[in-house]
Amino acid sequence: MSEVKLEKLVQPFYEALEKGKMMGRKCPECGAVEFPPVYACNTCGCLHTEWYEISGKAKMHSIVLPGALSSKPEYKAMGKYAYGEIELEEGTKFNGVVLGITKKNRDDLAAQLPIDVHAKIIDKNDEFGLKTVVFELDEKYTK
Amino acid sequence: MSQTKSHKYNRSVSIIGVGCTPFMYTVDNPETDGLTEHELLGYAALSAMEDAGIRATDVDYYFHGQASPLAGSNQLTPNIHCGNWFGMKGKGSIHHSEACCTGYLALDLAANYIASGKYDCIMTGAVEFGDSNPYPNDSVDTAKHPFKREKVTMEKFLFTTKWLYDRVYARSLMAPMELIYDDPAEVYVRENGITPEQMDDTLNWMCINNRRNASMNPLAIERHTFAEIAKEKGFDSDIDYLRSPFNPKMGAYLRANCLELKCDGAAAVIVCATEKIPEICKNLKHKPIEILGVGASSYNAINPHFEIEATKNACAEVYASTGVKPEELDIFYANDFIITSHLISAEIAGYLPKGEGWKYICEGRTAYDGDKPINTNGGRTSFGHAHAASGLADVYECCKQMRGECGERQVKKLPKTAMLRGYGGAQNVAAVLLRTID
Repeated sequence: MSEVKLEKLVQPFYEALEKGKMMGRKCPECGAVEFPPVYACNTCGCLHTEWYEISGKAKMHSIVLPGALSSKPEYKAMGKYAYGEIELEEGTKFNGVVLGITKKNRDDLAAQLPIDVHAKIIDKNDEFGLKTVVFELDEKYTK
Repeated sequence: MSQTKSHKYNRSVSIIGVGCTPFMYTVDNPETDGLTEHELLGYAALSAMEDAGIRATDVDYYFHGQASPLAGSNQLTPNIHCGNWFGMKGKGSIHHSEACCTGYLALDLAANYIASGKYDCIMTGAVEFGDSNPYPNDSVDTAKHPFKREKVTMEKFLFTTKWLYDRVYARSLMAPMELIYDDPAEVYVRENGITPEQMDDTLNWMCINNRRNASMNPLAIERHTFAEIAKEKGFDSDIDYLRSPFNPKMGAYLRANCLELKCDGAAAVIVCATEKIPEICKNLKHKPIEILGVGASSYNAINPHFEIEATKNACAEVYASTGVKPEELDIFYANDFIITSHLISAEIAGYLPKGEGWKYICEGRTAYDGDKPINTNGGRTSFGHAHAASGLADVYECCKQMRGECGERQVKKLPKTAMLRGYGGAQNVAAVLLRTID
C-alpha cells in the first residue's frame, strides 16, 4: 500500500495552534523534522512524514530589527520585536519573529548569539482571526 | 547545499542578437503614454532580430516572460497575443513567470531548447509595466481600456509584493516577508566584522557607482549623478548627501536609494545553435556570445538567508558543470533591486574576494571604469527595474560590453567571460555564464 497520502496538513496545523500546540512532521527514516509541516523529508528525500509535536525550545542565530520598509501596521500589537534565523531544538531552521528585542538591547543580545528563545502562540491580528507562532527571549535575558 | 549536478549542453548555444527598450515611466511622458505591452516587446524582439541580421521567419519558437500578466496586462496567456507583432504568428511559444528572475531563466529556457536539438533559433523576450496597470487600476475584474494605463502607487505595489510569498505559511510567520530587505547586510556585517557605519557607506557607494554607470547609459531611467544632486542640495560630496536624512533609513541598514526604481520596459535576445550560425545568420556583424551554462537554485522565504544560500548553490552548480573558475570572470551583473545583492553575490561568485568586496565598492573599483566592473548599465537602482524584463536587459548590456559597443561607459578591458546572477520571486536564483566566441 502506498505511504504517499493526499491528506490535509495546513488546516490541522492552524487548528493545533488554536489548542496551544505547535505541530511539525518527522521523517520516519532519518528522523529530520519539518516545520512548518510538509509532506516529504527535505533531508533524505523520503516521500512521507508523520505528525510530530514541536517542543518550542529554540535558538536565535541572527537579529534584524524592523524598519519602515520591513514592518506592517498589524505587527504593532506584538510590541517590540525583531526578525531572525530560528533553529528549533529538533534541528529545523526557519525565519521567525522574536518578541522583546529593541534598539536598546539589540547589541547586547547580538554579542551573545545564538540566544535561547521559546515559542509563543499568539493571535495573528489579521482579518481571519488565526493564530501564529512567534518566539520570546528566555527569562535569563530579560532579568 | 543543493544536491543538483548539471551537465554541459549537448551542443553549443550562442546569443546572436539583443534588443532593449529604454526603461521608463511610460505614463509620465506624453510621447510614451499609451504604449502597450505589445509595442514594448515587439520593439525589443525586432531590435534583437535586426541586431542578429535575421528575419522573423528564421526564428523557430519564442519564450515570453512577464512577472504579473493579470495585474499588468489583464491577460492570462500573454504570449499568445503578441507573436504576430514580431512576425511569429503561428509559431510555438510558452509564457513563463519567475518574478524578478524571469529574464535570466528566459535565457536558460531558450538555451535548453536549443541544446536539446529540438530547435535551432529562438527569440526569448520579457516585458513588464512595473509603474502602471491597465486603466482603471481598481481590480482585475473590471473592464480595461485597450491602451490607457494608470500609475501603480508604492503603497499598492508593496501590498502586491505579498503575492511573492507562500500563502499557507510564510505570510502567517511574518519574518519570511520582511527579511528580504536587511538579512544579507546583517549577515555580511556579522560574518566579516565590519561596523554598521562601514556597511552604510558600502550601500551608499553601490548607489553612487550604479548611478555613475547609468549617467552614461541612454536607456537608463535615472541619469542624474549623486554628485550633481548633492551639489544642488548644498552638500560637499555625494557620500555626504547619501549619509543625510535626504536618503532616509528604511530598515536596519537599507536607505531609500538602495531600492529599485520600478518602471516599464522590455528586452529580448536571439539564441541560436552555434553550429547553425553560418546557415541562419549569414549577415552576423559581431562575435557570437556562447551561453556556457546556467546554475539554478530556489528556496522559499521561510528558509534562513535564502538569497545567500541559493546564490551559493547556483554558482557552485554552474562552475562545476562548465569548468570555469571565478578568476576567469571579467565582468559581473547582479539583480540588485535591494542593492546589498550586488555585494554579496559578487563575493559568493568569487568575483570579489570574500570579506573584502566592500572595500572594492567604496574605492569605486566596481564602477564601469574600475578593474572589477559590476552592473555597468546602472543596476536596478539607476537603470530601473521592469521586473521580468530586467534580467534580459542585463544580458543586453553584458553582450554589448563583450562586443565593445558601449561607447563612453565601455569597461577598460574587453570582457571575454561574464557572470549574471539572477534573483527574484522570493526566491529563485540563477547564475548564468557567458563567453565570447573568437
